[in-house]
Amino acid sequence: MSQYEEETFNEQESLQLITTMINKAKADFVETGISAIMWGSIISFCALVQFVSYFYPLSWARYVWLLTFLAVVPQIIISARERRRMKFKTYYSDAMSGIWLSFAITMFLLSFYVNTIQVPYIQLHAETLFLIVYGVPTFATGFTRRFTPMIIGGIACWVFAILAFYTAYPYTMLYYVAAAQLAWFIPGFILQRRYLKAKKQQHV
Amino acid sequence: MFKDLDPILHSQLRLAVMSLLISVKEAEFTFIKEKTNATAGNLSVQVQKLKEAGYIDVVKEFKDNYPNTTCKITKKGIKAFEEYVNTLQQYLNVKK
Repeated sequence: MSQYEEETFNEQESLQLITTMINKAKADFVETGISAIMWGSIISFCALVQFVSYFYPLSWARYVWLLTFLAVVPQIIISARERRRMKFKTYYSDAMSGIWLSFAITMFLLSFYVNTIQVPYIQLHAETLFLIVYGVPTFATGFTRRFTPMIIGGIACWVFAILAFYTAYPYTMLYYVAAAQLAWFIPGFILQRRYLKAKKQQHV
Repeated sequence: MFKDLDPILHSQLRLAVMSLLISVKEAEFTFIKEKTNATAGNLSVQVQKLKEAGYIDVVKEFKDNYPNTTCKITKKGIKAFEEYVNTLQQYLNVKK
């Protein structure tokens, strides 16, 4: 017998039901965290390679950041899969997509600007610029979704942006590593654990 | 004098569906079924009643070659839900 066959219920139970259902909708985690883990790993790897190549020159190190362009392909596949798997849409789903798309376009334009402008890289404080931009969608996502790890990650990016301004290259690369870990890798890992836990509970 | 509770909403499953849909932009039938633990048959009947009342929109389409039903609360549905909650609060305040 279904639990909904009983139609007589009082006002208190009615209010309780509304609260329970709203909480159920809020507690449903659809994000697997894979994108965040992927980007956290790639940015950390690229920054570490650039840092190491300063002391031990690597011929391919200057091309390592091209990995970020290549990673757009798996990102599109992951996003499409997550979208297909999504059984509901929230009011801020579109807003989140807009924020991260703006971030991708800004990163592309900023990379173009930094590589084209005729100013020595060190004088440009490019790391500061990039770290400021890293912080924007990360903080916005954490704040909108009430996801503390990403709020902390976003703030960490901005703190590292200030520190990078006063730090000499190549040590600024280590801020990239720390920012990528705090802003994406660790929050992505937490999301992945929550997702797997929620998935497991659904199958119990 | 209190208003009567909306009979369309004052039903456990229909209220559960509306409470879910008020929290999201739109949701698939399978998601609602999963969250309410209702049977597909019972849920279909209640979703149809909500649709007939103009409280929700139901869109049937194909997703990955399978039929997929999506439900979305309407402006009329939001207004009815808000009124229902307000009336509920009035009842509860009097009983305090």
